[in-house]
Amino acid sequence: MDPSEVEFLAEKELVKIIPNFNLDKLYLIGGDLGPFNPGLPLDVPVWLALNLKQRQKCRVVPPDWMDVEKLEEMRELERKAAAFTPVPSLYYMELTKLLLNHASDNIPKADEIRTLVKDIWDTRIAKLRLSADSFISQQEAHAKLDNLTLMEINTIRRFLLGSLNCMYRLRSNLQPGSSKGQFADF
Amino acid sequence: MPCERKPMRYGHSEGHTEVCFDDSGNFIVTCGNDGDVRIWENLDDDDPRFITVGEKAYSLAVKNGKLVTASSNNTVQIHTFPDGEPDGILTRFTTNATHVTFNTCGSKVAAGSSDFLVKVVEVSDSSQQKTLRGHEAPVLSVTFDPKGDFLASASCDGSVVVWNIEEQAQVISWPLLQKTNDVSNAKSLCRLAWQPHTAKFLAVPVYTKVYLYERGSWDHVSTLSDDLLTQVNAEKEERGYEDLFDDDDQVMDEGWHDRHSPTKKAVSGVNEYEDDDDDFVIPATGRAKHRGTLLDDENSLDSGSLKLGPDNAVMTASPLPATLRPVYEGPQPTPPQKAFQPGSTSIHLTHRFMMWNSVGTVRGYNDEQDNAIDVEFHDTAVHHAMHLTNSLGHTMTDVSQEAVLLACPSADELASKIHCLHFSSWDTNKEWMVDLPKGEDARALCLGQGWAAVATSALMVRLFSIGGVQREIFSLPGAVVCMAGHGEQLLIVYHRGTSFDGEQALGVQLLQFGRKRRQIINGEPLPISHKSYLCWLGFTAEGTPCYVDSEGVVRMLNRSLGFTWTPVCNTRETCKSKSDHYWVVGVHENPQQLRCIPCKGSRYPPTLPRPAVAILPFKLPLCQTTTEKGQMEEQFWRSVLFHNHYSFLSSSGYEIDEVGQSQSQKEQQELLMKMFALSCKLEREFRCVELAELMTQNVVTLAIRYASRSRRMALAQRLSEIALEKAGQIHNEQEEEMEHCDIRRTSSGYDHTEGKEKHHRRQTLEDEPGQELEEEEDQQEMESQDGIEAPKRLNLFAKVPGSPLKQAAPLSSKGGRSNPFKVLGSWKSSPVSCQPRVANILDNMTSSRKSAPLSASVKKSNKTPVLKPLPPRAKTKAQSTLLQMCNAKAVIKKTQENIEAIDDQRKQADLSTAPSLADNSEAKRSKTGFEVWLEENRKNIIVDHPDLEEMDIIREAMGLFRNLSADERLAWTEQAKGPAGDVMDLKKRKRTKAGGGVENEIGQAEADENNAKKKKVVDPSKLSAFAFQKN
Repeated sequence: MDPSEVEFLAEKELVKIIPNFNLDKLYLIGGDLGPFNPGLPLDVPVWLALNLKQRQKCRVVPPDWMDVEKLEEMRELERKAAAFTPVPSLYYMELTKLLLNHASDNIPKADEIRTLVKDIWDTRIAKLRLSADSFISQQEAHAKLDNLTLMEINTIRRFLLGSLNCMYRLRSNLQPGSSKGQFADF
Repeated sequence: MPCERKPMRYGHSEGHTEVCFDDSGNFIVTCGNDGDVRIWENLDDDDPRFITVGEKAYSLAVKNGKLVTASSNNTVQIHTFPDGEPDGILTRFTTNATHVTFNTCGSKVAAGSSDFLVKVVEVSDSSQQKTLRGHEAPVLSVTFDPKGDFLASASCDGSVVVWNIEEQAQVISWPLLQKTNDVSNAKSLCRLAWQPHTAKFLAVPVYTKVYLYERGSWDHVSTLSDDLLTQVNAEKEERGYEDLFDDDDQVMDEGWHDRHSPTKKAVSGVNEYEDDDDDFVIPATGRAKHRGTLLDDENSLDSGSLKLGPDNAVMTASPLPATLRPVYEGPQPTPPQKAFQPGSTSIHLTHRFMMWNSVGTVRGYNDEQDNAIDVEFHDTAVHHAMHLTNSLGHTMTDVSQEAVLLACPSADELASKIHCLHFSSWDTNKEWMVDLPKGEDARALCLGQGWAAVATSALMVRLFSIGGVQREIFSLPGAVVCMAGHGEQLLIVYHRGTSFDGEQALGVQLLQFGRKRRQIINGEPLPISHKSYLCWLGFTAEGTPCYVDSEGVVRMLNRSLGFTWTPVCNTRETCKSKSDHYWVVGVHENPQQLRCIPCKGSRYPPTLPRPAVAILPFKLPLCQTTTEKGQMEEQFWRSVLFHNHYSFLSSSGYEIDEVGQSQSQKEQQELLMKMFALSCKLEREFRCVELAELMTQNVVTLAIRYASRSRRMALAQRLSEIALEKAGQIHNEQEEEMEHCDIRRTSSGYDHTEGKEKHHRRQTLEDEPGQELEEEEDQQEMESQDGIEAPKRLNLFAKVPGSPLKQAAPLSSKGGRSNPFKVLGSWKSSPVSCQPRVANILDNMTSSRKSAPLSASVKKSNKTPVLKPLPPRAKTKAQSTLLQMCNAKAVIKKTQENIEAIDDQRKQADLSTAPSLADNSEAKRSKTGFEVWLEENRKNIIVDHPDLEEMDIIREAMGLFRNLSADERLAWTEQAKGPAGDVMDLKKRKRTKAGGGVENEIGQAEADENNAKKKKVVDPSKLSAFAFQKN
């Protein structure tokens, strides 16, 4: 799965905007949107929010969690905890990237938020790598990975599966003459 | 003796000063803080001689050509007078002396000091000195007994002491004064005085009184005070005065008892602390022969009683008024709340919202770098954002779709200005500015559609057109608090008067401009919560006045209840913490939204980060809203209240959202029906009837059906009466309208509709002759069934020649009559809204009755949500269920197929008289057994009760019919079915085609409904159907 595909999925998330135009309800296949009242906050999918933002038709209200204090707290928690901590949004990375790229003027302390989210991401990815490493080194058969987001799974999927396959091949090649029964030990 | 008080002049710089005359009375000698002793020849002496005695001079005394001063170098010095040559140091203290005085003959000097000592020194030999110890605080004053035995002194420790000079011992001590720590803090300098020569009394000034003590016994013999003494004392006092004043050499005292007389003159040697007057020296006359002795710096002397000669020294010592104030402990007046702009944050903030309304926001910045105003519009289609430099210092602003209005208060030379940015102007000049008259400040302003209003400090409201033309001016009864404009309405809140204990007394005016200029609310009190003030004032988006007080209660004007204010929301209830507030920015009635900004821990939102608007629901503070009943009541009344604006808008000539209105009515009727069902369930039949009173006639029919299905015959009976009443009302209204229309026939509006009507009529005539006929027949049928109506109708008919085709004309000529139906929106809409439900309820009922006839009612009443509207069904179905609701559309459908049948009927109609016509006309339903029976028996009834009205006849007939046995009734029903059968069949077939078998069943079921109530209800609905066709 491509990261862009994951991002595409993230665009379905709802985000609050404050439109500066008047429009009746929009009837879309995915559901009704609106009515748009100037000055009145409204939940719309990210893709629409960004579209409107690019046309300067709205102001984006950052999600609650996109706040320096909350993110700092989250980062500390993430660093302390051995396991993955719950994330504020299943698409936190994608949303941060999308909103900060396109609507950074509506988000206070955009740069700090970007750094914080990147920190959280790095911590989590490091944890993921570490656990993948121990998973392989200890030759576990299964692992429980709670609170992982789609993007995180996606980053490690190709490499992990590839390497697992590779290892499998290597292991089976180690004893070329061996029978199936012997291999079952692994 | 007239005394003249000369103007005062400065003698010394600020601070403690003393003054006295020299022996000869030629000079005034003063000393002061500047360390100089000045010798004035008179008051106009601009170049007095001076002797510098030290850095500061505290006290002085002059006698026999010697000047004794107490100066800041802790010494008492002697100078020659008037030459001012130093003549040695008399004595020293460890700190400065406070008062020096000579004895009568000038041989001794007494000095009091801040080191608690009093010293008596021989002038000729300074080694001969006596020290009087015993004071526990700095000495205020000293004075010699004229006979030379005693010395009196006063001290800051509060005591007045008489000393025996020879024995250097205290004779007596009185604790009379207030204790202080230093001379400079003493309330009074307490200059004591003996009676001259005889020395019989010692006078001690204590606060505002003078105590007199007798020499020897040292008894307190009398008190001189401002208030008149008792008679005895006064006499004694008089004597005392005589004693005192008989003496020519020394003048003392007193004019307490008539100190306010016009001839009053202040006479004394003055020395006074804490009174600016002590800097001024005023000799009244040229030669001063007597030395004024200060008794009390707070007293003045009455020259009249003192028999002062022209040579008397006159000094000022203005009496200090007693500082005792009456203590008032009643309710305190509330400071009236300041004028403010609704939707603006506190004026003290450097970054603040100057306005946040439904159009846009105006932010004001006023810090070191910048004084600017940002205008932003919610809808960028109105105008792009503006940035203005606020060079004038505008503090008030309002923004509308057309303009931005700013105002600044007056400052120094600059007048208060009104500045309007009229951005919607089509010419090139987009702004104008007006100066208010001098002394008038703008206090509040608002914008309406095409006008601007400014309330000023001169209790005036000035109206301007949006282009800058000055319009009306009117006065306000009180200081303005705030104003709001919307469309053509102006709402002003002002101070009605002073209020007490934290309340505000506010009054409100609501004016309407435009075509009908009038004052809608003229200065009534504005109800606000206890001990609160006004926070926000405005209109809902639909134009209903609304306001919020500091307790967070939102109130809205109820136009349908005599312009009362109804609380619709309490924002504080939704606040999580006590310090949280909601800052209201707008109110919408449809949809019901209270737009506000949640402020955590403050009243006002910050400008950054940009606050987001939240929406609160409204909730009327009705009782028991946790119960189902309370909830529905609250919903109902809220719905009624929030849809008042429809009638207001239509009455003031605005377009209204017809769909929204009909929806709201539908909603209300639904709620009523739900409440009705609930009350039925709870066996509250009286309540049911009360609810039915609120229902429209159509819904009452429904309610009747519901009641009868749930076997509540008594209820159904009462409801039917209500239904009849309602029908009657509607009838009357229509007739009134008709008459009204006749009178106003000439008005263009009606002509227009009439024309349309005719046109429409012609079309229908051409297109569908069948329908035309039908209408006629309806008309006739109505006449037949409605005896009261008949004559009038006939009259109308009589106006025209009676050919059947031309009969259309009178109908159309009653074009005015179609208007009432148009106006009656509820009539028009309710069938549409109610039909699906009617069908629904009936469906359920029929089926349930079939399955379980007995238990049906019970089941039904348990199932309240039965009345939920279904998606709209085919028109035909609705038609078939509502018996006599003959819809025009349905009629149109059955054109061709029916023609033959109709033709038949027309023949019959032409031939038959009114009653029989009713039989044969296509009544859209079969006749009931009762009707057939009634026709047969009508005559009998009329014979029995000749004086009965038509309605009463029917009622009577119903009674009789009900008394018949079941079999008989069945027979009549059968009979009724018979003759109508042909038509019925024809129709049935058609309906079956259209709507399926179910309809047939329903139709059948209804035909079964022979009870009389049914019929009663049915009459008016037929009328409505008629109305519907017309439209």
